[in-house]
Amino acid sequence: MAGSQGEAHSLRGPSDRPTLLAIRDLFNSEEPLATAAVDDILNPDVVNVQYSDGLLAAEWSRIDVQWTTRDDYKYHYTDAADVNVRWGKHPHNGDYVHVPGLEHYHPPPDASSNPSDVEDSCINQRPETLATRAVIKLWRTAYHAQSLDPLNAGKNPP
Amino acid sequence: MADTGDLDPFEDINQAVRDEWKAETTPYERVRAVISRTYTPTGVETLATDACTSPKTARKHLTALVDDGFVDTEPGAHGATLYYRSTESLVVEQAAAILSELSPEELRDRITDLREQVVDFQQTYGVESPEELTVERTNEVLDRSERERAIPDDETLREWQTTRRNLAFANAALSIANARKFVEPGAQSTDGTASPP
Repeated sequence: MAGSQGEAHSLRGPSDRPTLLAIRDLFNSEEPLATAAVDDILNPDVVNVQYSDGLLAAEWSRIDVQWTTRDDYKYHYTDAADVNVRWGKHPHNGDYVHVPGLEHYHPPPDASSNPSDVEDSCINQRPETLATRAVIKLWRTAYHAQSLDPLNAGKNPP
Repeated sequence: MADTGDLDPFEDINQAVRDEWKAETTPYERVRAVISRTYTPTGVETLATDACTSPKTARKHLTALVDDGFVDTEPGAHGATLYYRSTESLVVEQAAAILSELSPEELRDRITDLREQVVDFQQTYGVESPEELTVERTNEVLDRSERERAIPDDETLREWQTTRRNLAFANAALSIANARKFVEPGAQSTDGTASPP
Protein backbone atom coordinates (compact mmCIF):
# COMPACT_ATOMS: atom_id res chain seq x y z
CA MET A 1 0.00 0.00 0.00
CA ALA A 2 2.46 2.66 1.13
CA GLY A 3 5.72 3.08 -0.72
CA SER A 4 8.72 5.11 0.22
CA GLN A 5 7.68 7.79 -2.28
CA GLY A 6 4.88 10.13 -1.31
CA GLU A 7 2.00 8.99 0.85
CA ALA A 8 -0.49 6.38 -0.31
CA HIS A 9 -2.92 6.77 2.61
CA SER A 10 -5.85 9.14 2.29
CA LEU A 11 -7.59 11.39 4.72
CA ARG A 12 -11.20 10.40 5.45
CA GLY A 13 -14.05 12.76 4.62
CA PRO A 14 -14.34 16.19 3.03
CA SER A 15 -12.22 19.15 4.12
CA ASP A 16 -13.93 21.00 6.95
CA ARG A 17 -14.35 24.71 6.18
CA PRO A 18 -15.06 25.93 9.76
CA THR A 19 -12.07 24.03 11.16
CA LEU A 20 -9.70 25.31 8.46
CA LEU A 21 -10.78 28.90 9.20
CA ALA A 22 -10.29 28.35 12.94
CA ILE A 23 -6.78 27.00 12.29
CA ARG A 24 -6.00 30.01 10.07
CA ASP A 25 -7.12 32.41 12.81
CA LEU A 26 -5.12 30.59 15.50
CA PHE A 27 -1.83 30.76 13.57
CA ASN A 28 -2.43 34.46 12.89
CA SER A 29 -3.14 35.28 16.54
CA GLU A 30 -0.58 32.99 18.23
CA GLU A 31 2.55 33.09 16.05
CA PRO A 32 4.08 36.53 15.33
CA LEU A 33 6.32 35.17 12.54
CA ALA A 34 3.42 33.51 10.67
CA THR A 35 0.80 34.75 8.19
CA ALA A 36 -1.93 32.22 7.46
CA ALA A 37 -4.52 32.14 4.65
CA VAL A 38 -6.87 29.58 3.08
CA ASP A 39 -6.48 28.70 -0.62
CA ASP A 40 -10.15 29.54 -1.32
CA ILE A 41 -12.40 31.36 1.15
CA LEU A 42 -15.59 29.62 -0.06
CA ASN A 43 -14.27 26.13 -0.86
CA PRO A 44 -11.02 25.76 1.09
CA ASP A 45 -8.87 22.63 1.04
CA VAL A 46 -5.70 23.86 2.76
CA VAL A 47 -4.41 26.56 5.14
CA ASN A 48 -1.07 27.95 3.92
CA VAL A 49 0.96 29.30 6.85
CA GLN A 50 3.89 31.38 5.64
CA TYR A 51 6.68 32.00 8.19
CA SER A 52 9.05 34.92 7.69
CA ASP A 53 11.88 32.72 8.98
CA GLY A 54 12.75 29.03 8.82
CA LEU A 55 14.30 26.36 11.02
CA LEU A 56 18.11 25.94 11.08
CA ALA A 57 19.57 28.07 8.27
CA ALA A 58 16.42 28.29 6.11
CA GLU A 59 15.38 31.87 5.29
CA TRP A 60 11.66 31.10 5.19
CA SER A 61 9.34 28.20 5.91
CA ARG A 62 5.72 27.20 5.36
CA ILE A 63 3.26 24.85 7.03
CA ASP A 64 0.33 23.55 4.91
CA VAL A 65 -2.60 22.26 6.95
CA GLN A 66 -5.47 20.00 5.86
CA TRP A 67 -8.30 18.89 8.19
CA THR A 68 -11.41 16.83 7.47
CA THR A 69 -14.89 16.44 8.96
CA ARG A 70 -13.65 13.20 10.54
CA ASP A 71 -10.70 14.89 12.30
CA ASP A 72 -8.05 13.42 10.01
CA TYR A 73 -5.25 15.91 9.35
CA LYS A 74 -1.87 16.76 7.86
CA TYR A 75 0.50 19.54 8.98
CA HIS A 76 3.29 19.62 6.38
CA TYR A 77 6.41 21.72 7.04
CA THR A 78 8.67 22.77 4.15
CA ASP A 79 11.36 25.46 3.90
CA ALA A 80 13.89 27.31 1.74
CA ALA A 81 16.49 24.58 2.40
CA ASP A 82 14.05 21.92 1.12
CA VAL A 83 13.67 20.29 4.53
CA ASN A 84 10.27 18.59 4.92
CA VAL A 85 8.50 17.04 7.92
CA ARG A 86 4.83 16.17 8.47
CA TRP A 87 2.55 15.45 11.42
CA GLY A 88 -0.43 13.36 10.28
CA LYS A 89 -3.52 11.61 11.58
CA HIS A 90 -5.29 9.11 9.34
CA PRO A 91 -5.60 5.32 8.91
CA HIS A 92 -2.44 3.59 7.61
CA ASN A 93 -3.56 -0.08 7.58
CA GLY A 94 -0.83 -0.92 10.07
CA ASP A 95 1.82 -0.05 7.46
CA TYR A 96 3.64 2.27 9.88
CA VAL A 97 5.11 -0.40 12.13
CA HIS A 98 6.14 2.03 14.90
CA VAL A 99 2.72 3.74 15.04
CA PRO A 100 0.07 2.05 17.22
CA GLY A 101 -2.66 4.66 16.62
CA LEU A 102 -3.57 7.11 13.86
CA GLU A 103 -1.27 10.01 14.84
CA HIS A 104 2.18 9.82 13.28
CA TYR A 105 5.22 11.85 12.24
CA HIS A 106 7.09 11.79 8.94
CA PRO A 107 10.66 12.77 9.92
CA PRO A 108 13.12 15.15 8.26
CA PRO A 109 14.84 15.77 5.98
CA ASP A 110 12.27 14.53 3.42
CA ALA A 111 9.13 13.74 5.51
CA SER A 112 9.80 10.07 4.71
CA SER A 113 6.77 7.83 4.18
CA ASN A 114 8.90 4.70 4.34
CA PRO A 115 6.89 2.51 6.78
CA SER A 116 9.91 1.87 9.02
CA ASP A 117 10.87 5.58 9.13
CA VAL A 118 7.46 6.93 10.18
CA GLU A 119 7.34 7.58 13.94
CA ASP A 120 4.57 7.73 16.52
CA SER A 121 3.55 11.40 16.89
CA CYS A 122 4.15 13.34 20.09
CA ILE A 123 0.77 15.08 19.47
CA ASN A 124 -2.29 13.13 20.63
CA GLN A 125 -5.06 15.72 21.10
CA ARG A 126 -8.24 15.64 18.97
CA PRO A 127 -9.50 19.28 18.99
CA GLU A 128 -7.97 21.31 16.17
CA THR A 129 -7.14 24.13 18.57
CA LEU A 130 -4.92 21.77 20.63
CA ALA A 131 -3.23 20.07 17.65
CA THR A 132 -2.55 23.48 16.09
CA ARG A 133 -1.24 24.98 19.32
CA ALA A 134 1.07 21.96 19.62
CA VAL A 135 2.46 22.44 16.10
CA ILE A 136 3.00 26.17 16.77
CA LYS A 137 4.82 25.39 20.03
CA LEU A 138 6.96 22.60 18.51
CA TRP A 139 8.02 24.86 15.60
CA ARG A 140 8.99 27.55 18.10
CA THR A 141 10.90 25.09 20.31
CA ALA A 142 12.89 23.87 17.28
CA TYR A 143 13.43 27.50 16.19
CA HIS A 144 14.92 28.50 19.55
CA ALA A 145 16.97 25.28 19.85
CA GLN A 146 18.28 25.63 16.28
CA SER A 147 17.61 21.92 15.88
CA LEU A 148 14.95 19.75 14.23
CA ASP A 149 15.01 17.24 17.12
CA PRO A 150 12.33 19.02 19.23
CA LEU A 151 9.73 18.71 16.43
CA ASN A 152 8.67 15.27 17.65
CA ALA A 153 10.30 15.16 21.09
CA GLY A 154 7.23 16.72 22.70
CA LYS A 155 9.15 18.53 25.43
CA ASN A 156 11.23 21.63 26.00
CA PRO A 157 13.62 21.13 28.95
CA PRO A 158 14.61 24.22 30.94
CA MET B 1 14.80 38.41 12.05
CA ALA B 2 12.71 40.09 14.72
CA ASP B 3 11.39 37.55 17.17
CA THR B 4 8.84 38.62 19.74
CA GLY B 5 7.55 35.17 20.73
CA ASP B 6 8.65 33.75 24.08
CA LEU B 7 8.63 30.11 25.11
CA ASP B 8 8.37 28.50 28.53
CA PRO B 9 9.87 25.06 29.22
CA PHE B 10 7.40 22.15 29.08
CA GLU B 11 7.59 18.45 29.96
CA ASP B 12 4.79 17.23 27.69
CA ILE B 13 3.50 19.09 24.65
CA ASN B 14 -0.05 17.77 25.09
CA GLN B 15 -0.30 18.93 28.71
CA ALA B 16 1.35 22.25 27.78
CA VAL B 17 -1.26 23.12 25.13
CA ARG B 18 -4.12 21.96 27.37
CA ASP B 19 -2.85 24.23 30.17
CA GLU B 20 -2.48 27.12 27.72
CA TRP B 21 -6.03 26.69 26.34
CA LYS B 22 -7.48 26.40 29.87
CA ALA B 23 -5.75 29.60 30.93
CA GLU B 24 -7.33 31.53 28.02
CA THR B 25 -10.90 30.21 28.13
CA THR B 26 -13.84 29.25 30.35
CA PRO B 27 -15.13 25.65 30.52
CA TYR B 28 -18.26 26.78 28.61
CA GLU B 29 -16.14 28.24 25.79
CA ARG B 30 -14.12 25.04 25.49
CA VAL B 31 -17.17 22.74 25.51
CA ARG B 32 -18.81 24.94 22.86
CA ALA B 33 -15.64 24.96 20.72
CA VAL B 34 -15.27 21.17 20.90
CA ILE B 35 -18.91 20.32 20.14
CA SER B 36 -19.12 22.98 17.41
CA ARG B 37 -16.93 20.75 15.21
CA THR B 38 -17.98 17.31 16.49
CA TYR B 39 -20.07 15.87 13.64
CA THR B 40 -20.10 12.24 14.83
CA PRO B 41 -22.33 11.45 17.86
CA THR B 42 -19.92 11.32 20.80
CA GLY B 43 -20.20 10.52 24.51
CA VAL B 44 -19.80 13.07 27.29
CA GLU B 45 -16.57 11.53 28.69
CA THR B 46 -14.72 11.99 25.38
CA LEU B 47 -16.08 15.51 24.93
CA ALA B 48 -15.10 16.42 28.50
CA THR B 49 -11.54 15.15 27.95
CA ASP B 50 -11.28 17.09 24.67
CA ALA B 51 -12.59 20.24 26.41
CA CYS B 52 -10.24 19.90 29.41
CA THR B 53 -13.10 19.76 31.92
CA SER B 54 -15.09 17.24 33.99
CA PRO B 55 -17.95 15.14 32.55
CA LYS B 56 -20.33 16.85 35.00
CA THR B 57 -19.40 20.34 33.76
CA ALA B 58 -19.43 19.21 30.13
CA ARG B 59 -22.92 17.68 30.49
CA LYS B 60 -24.28 20.89 32.07
CA HIS B 61 -23.05 23.05 29.17
CA LEU B 62 -24.04 20.49 26.50
CA THR B 63 -27.58 20.38 27.89
CA ALA B 64 -27.81 24.18 27.61
CA LEU B 65 -26.44 24.04 24.06
CA VAL B 66 -29.09 21.42 23.15
CA ASP B 67 -31.78 23.83 24.43
CA ASP B 68 -30.26 26.57 22.25
CA GLY B 69 -30.45 24.36 19.12
CA PHE B 70 -26.64 24.36 18.78
CA VAL B 71 -26.32 20.64 19.58
CA ASP B 72 -28.39 17.52 18.77
CA THR B 73 -28.45 14.23 20.65
CA GLU B 74 -29.10 10.57 20.01
CA PRO B 75 -29.28 7.63 22.40
CA GLY B 76 -26.10 5.58 22.86
CA ALA B 77 -25.49 2.22 24.53
CA HIS B 78 -26.60 1.57 28.16
CA GLY B 79 -28.83 4.65 28.36
CA ALA B 80 -26.00 7.09 27.52
CA THR B 81 -26.61 10.26 25.50
CA LEU B 82 -24.44 11.01 22.48
CA TYR B 83 -23.95 14.62 21.37
CA TYR B 84 -23.12 16.17 17.99
CA ARG B 85 -23.27 19.58 16.31
CA SER B 86 -26.74 20.42 15.00
CA THR B 87 -26.57 20.35 11.20
CA GLU B 88 -29.12 23.17 10.88
CA SER B 89 -27.11 25.31 13.27
CA LEU B 90 -23.89 24.60 11.34
CA VAL B 91 -25.47 25.46 7.97
CA VAL B 92 -26.88 28.77 9.25
CA GLU B 93 -23.53 29.64 10.92
CA GLN B 94 -21.55 28.93 7.74
CA ALA B 95 -24.07 30.77 5.56
CA ALA B 96 -23.77 33.88 7.76
CA ALA B 97 -19.96 33.61 7.76
CA ILE B 98 -19.93 33.35 3.95
CA LEU B 99 -22.16 36.44 3.62
CA SER B 100 -19.69 38.41 5.72
CA GLU B 101 -16.90 37.47 3.26
CA LEU B 102 -18.59 37.63 -0.16
CA SER B 103 -21.17 39.91 -1.77
CA PRO B 104 -24.33 38.23 -3.15
CA GLU B 105 -23.02 38.93 -6.69
CA GLU B 106 -19.67 37.26 -5.97
CA LEU B 107 -21.51 34.41 -4.31
CA ARG B 108 -23.73 33.82 -7.37
CA ASP B 109 -20.65 33.58 -9.61
CA ARG B 110 -18.87 31.17 -7.27
CA ILE B 111 -21.99 28.99 -6.94
CA THR B 112 -22.06 28.69 -10.74
CA ASP B 113 -18.36 27.63 -10.66
CA LEU B 114 -18.87 25.04 -7.93
CA ARG B 115 -21.99 23.61 -9.63
CA GLU B 116 -20.01 23.18 -12.84
CA GLN B 117 -17.26 21.37 -10.92
CA VAL B 118 -19.79 18.95 -9.40
CA VAL B 119 -21.41 18.32 -12.82
CA ASP B 120 -17.92 17.67 -14.26
CA PHE B 121 -17.29 15.02 -11.58
CA GLN B 122 -20.70 13.44 -12.28
CA GLN B 123 -20.12 13.30 -16.04
CA THR B 124 -16.51 12.10 -15.78
CA TYR B 125 -17.33 9.23 -13.44
CA GLY B 126 -20.90 8.51 -14.62
CA VAL B 127 -22.56 8.60 -11.18
CA GLU B 128 -24.50 11.21 -9.23
CA SER B 129 -22.42 11.03 -6.04
CA PRO B 130 -19.07 9.76 -4.71
CA GLU B 131 -21.01 7.36 -2.44
CA GLU B 132 -22.38 5.46 -5.47
CA LEU B 133 -18.81 4.77 -6.60
CA THR B 134 -17.85 3.47 -3.16
CA VAL B 135 -20.88 1.15 -3.09
CA GLU B 136 -20.14 -0.14 -6.59
CA ARG B 137 -16.51 -0.83 -5.68
CA THR B 138 -17.53 -2.73 -2.56
CA ASN B 139 -20.15 -4.86 -4.29
CA GLU B 140 -17.94 -5.71 -7.26
CA VAL B 141 -21.01 -6.00 -9.47
CA LEU B 142 -19.57 -3.95 -12.30
CA ASP B 143 -20.05 -5.19 -15.82
CA ARG B 144 -17.27 -4.83 -18.36
CA SER B 145 -18.30 -1.40 -19.67
CA GLU B 146 -18.54 -0.04 -16.13
CA ARG B 147 -15.17 -1.49 -15.17
CA GLU B 148 -13.59 0.39 -18.06
CA ARG B 149 -15.11 3.64 -16.86
CA ALA B 150 -12.80 6.21 -15.24
CA ILE B 151 -12.26 5.57 -11.50
CA PRO B 152 -11.24 8.57 -9.40
CA ASP B 153 -8.45 8.28 -6.84
CA ASP B 154 -9.20 8.93 -3.18
CA GLU B 155 -8.04 12.56 -3.33
CA THR B 156 -10.42 13.26 -6.24
CA LEU B 157 -13.28 11.67 -4.28
CA ARG B 158 -12.45 13.93 -1.34
CA GLU B 159 -12.35 17.00 -3.59
CA TRP B 160 -15.80 16.07 -4.91
CA GLN B 161 -17.16 15.62 -1.36
CA THR B 162 -15.59 18.90 -0.24
CA THR B 163 -16.95 20.90 -3.18
CA ARG B 164 -20.43 19.44 -2.74
CA ARG B 165 -20.44 20.29 0.98
CA ASN B 166 -19.25 23.87 0.50
CA LEU B 167 -21.71 24.34 -2.38
CA ALA B 168 -24.47 23.43 0.09
CA PHE B 169 -23.22 26.14 2.52
CA ALA B 170 -23.01 28.63 -0.37
CA ASN B 171 -26.56 27.87 -1.54
CA ALA B 172 -27.84 28.40 2.00
CA ALA B 173 -25.99 31.74 2.15
CA LEU B 174 -27.59 32.93 -1.09
CA SER B 175 -31.05 31.87 0.12
CA ILE B 176 -30.56 33.90 3.30
CA ALA B 177 -29.34 36.92 1.30
CA ASN B 178 -32.46 36.69 -0.91
CA ALA B 179 -34.77 36.27 2.08
CA ARG B 180 -33.25 39.31 3.81
CA LYS B 181 -34.39 41.55 0.94
CA PHE B 182 -38.01 40.92 1.83
CA VAL B 183 -37.92 40.19 5.55
CA GLU B 184 -35.64 42.83 7.09
CA PRO B 185 -37.16 46.02 8.49
CA GLY B 186 -37.19 48.56 5.66
CA ALA B 187 -37.49 45.80 3.06
CA GLN B 188 -39.19 46.59 -0.27
CA SER B 189 -42.99 46.58 0.01
CA THR B 190 -45.23 45.03 -2.67
CA ASP B 191 -45.62 48.27 -4.65
CA GLY B 192 -41.84 48.48 -5.08
CA THR B 193 -41.22 51.38 -2.69
CA ALA B 194 -39.28 51.09 0.53
CA SER B 195 -41.56 50.58 3.51
CA PRO B 196 -41.23 52.86 6.54
CA PRO B 197 -38.75 51.72 9.26
